[in-house]
Amino acid sequence: MSSDAQPAVEIDHVSYTYPATGFDAQPVDALQNISFKVDERTKLGVLGPNGGGKSTLIKLILGIIAPSQGKIRVFGLSPSKARSEGLVGYLPQRIEADLDWPMSVEQVIEHGRFSKLKPWQRLSEQDHKAVRHAMELVDVLDLANRHIGSLSGGQLQRVMIARAIAGEPKLLVLDEPTVGVDIAGQQRFGNMIETLQKEMGLTLIVVTHDMRAIAAMADRIACLSRSLHFHDSPQGLTPGVLAQVFAHDVAGVFGDIHIDAHRADECDDPSHIKPSGCGCEDQGCSDHGADK
Amino acid sequence: MNTLALLQTEVASPSIAPVIFAAITISILGGALSVFVVLKRLAFIGQGVSHAAFGGVGIALVLGVHGATSLSAIGQLAIVIAFSILAALWIATLSRVSKGRTDTAIGVVLSASMALGFVLFTVAESGHDHDDHGHAVAEHQDEHHLIEEILFGNILDTDWTKAGVAIGFSLIVLLTTWLMRRRFIFWAFDEPVCDAYGINSKRTTDLFLILLALSVVMAMQIAGVVLAAAMLVLPGAAALNISNRLSSVFGFSILIAVIGAAVGMLIGFQADYPIGPAIVLSQSVLYLVTMLMNKAMSRLR
Repeated sequence: MSSDAQPAVEIDHVSYTYPATGFDAQPVDALQNISFKVDERTKLGVLGPNGGGKSTLIKLILGIIAPSQGKIRVFGLSPSKARSEGLVGYLPQRIEADLDWPMSVEQVIEHGRFSKLKPWQRLSEQDHKAVRHAMELVDVLDLANRHIGSLSGGQLQRVMIARAIAGEPKLLVLDEPTVGVDIAGQQRFGNMIETLQKEMGLTLIVVTHDMRAIAAMADRIACLSRSLHFHDSPQGLTPGVLAQVFAHDVAGVFGDIHIDAHRADECDDPSHIKPSGCGCEDQGCSDHGADK
Repeated sequence: MNTLALLQTEVASPSIAPVIFAAITISILGGALSVFVVLKRLAFIGQGVSHAAFGGVGIALVLGVHGATSLSAIGQLAIVIAFSILAALWIATLSRVSKGRTDTAIGVVLSASMALGFVLFTVAESGHDHDDHGHAVAEHQDEHHLIEEILFGNILDTDWTKAGVAIGFSLIVLLTTWLMRRRFIFWAFDEPVCDAYGINSKRTTDLFLILLALSVVMAMQIAGVVLAAAMLVLPGAAALNISNRLSSVFGFSILIAVIGAAVGMLIGFQADYPIGPAIVLSQSVLYLVTMLMNKAMSRLR
């Protein structure tokens, strides 16, 4: 991968603090001094515990919020500009759409073209073509006329992916796409993502706390627990790094793959496990992210 | 008098024609917006805004804008519209601040505006008492009659000027909704991802609430403060009982709204019932009919 080429996403010393709202709230540091790049046409897996700043990172990349410090570029543009140019597609973690809406699958997927149109413009032949193509890629063509509320969970997810790629983005952001999906389903999902990437030349950012899913599909992995702990290929993701990121969770969940989570485990007192999830305060553990 | 004779005499009469035109246009508006109102669960916001408008009427009265002449009626309408839009945006802001507790926000705005309205009515009334003690009793009855009209609607005193203003506003709201239809549909369908798809959810919400506030004030011209929101709920709710196709839902909704208005007016004129409540009742009956149709259809399946 040439490092001279413009990266798809460039995150440069970015911090984000949620402002305090309400009477007794405190500002919350969600991300601290994060830097990494995502090369075009690669798949980045973002791994981290709940509350580790994954959702914040997504909002920043989508330009829904602006960093408190630092700079983000998406294809050399500001995130909101990149999004309004239709360069970024997004699959939310939970599908919160109102499935009572009297809409067909095809009408929902057409929404993915809206960012390319003025509100009053009609969908052109080209728009319809892109919609059909997106449906073909995720294999929902036969559902085109079905009511959106009549689909199974898996079908609905594919429809929402079709909506995300109907705008022909160059970057696709997937937020926890495999939550509640069984191993076979994850496999199918991985294959589908593979196909999408090949067909559309996509850059992918997959955010998850599911390590199995991420190891299967990512070229590179960023471990996020407020700060960046690791950014490299999956092979370099050693048990020690995982233990740092996930603290003591890891041994329990992945006990079957013999993760040596001694750093966090050595904490006699669980309250000494650092809030960032980075090991135990007693051990004086240090962040050793690849980008440092 | 049979219906045909009624149509020939009454409809042709210049006093009723503007009533009919205004009522039909406002019904079409109600039909179009009610689909969003029902699916986006804004029925209670509509209710809140219409009651808030009562406060607007109170302000108009205190300012001496009584709506007795056409010109002052338009002045009153302008004040009520401004107040209602502010109330809608206030509700939106309050529910954003209180993290989506929209019902609380509506409860606050609705009661505060109603209370303000009644206090201001009394202030305006006592002003009259003070001016002229001799007519105090007559004025008092007038004010009560006025309150009743505001609460339940009095479309019968609609002349061409008032009808023109109502039709104009309704067409503006309809046109804006048509132009923004895709944006509104996306927003109503999946607001949480709106922003990620380049649709500013806050701005879209505010725009829709402004249109909703305008529509509520228009519906108030027919059905008054208490029943206005019904015209922005019933047609859409009825249409959703009988279809799950986007364009036919909007089509049925407008059709049901217009049929309800026509039947309501016929009954109202013929039996000398108040027009607004008669329209709302007809639309309610149509809603019940569609609900039964829905039940029957699902049993057949």
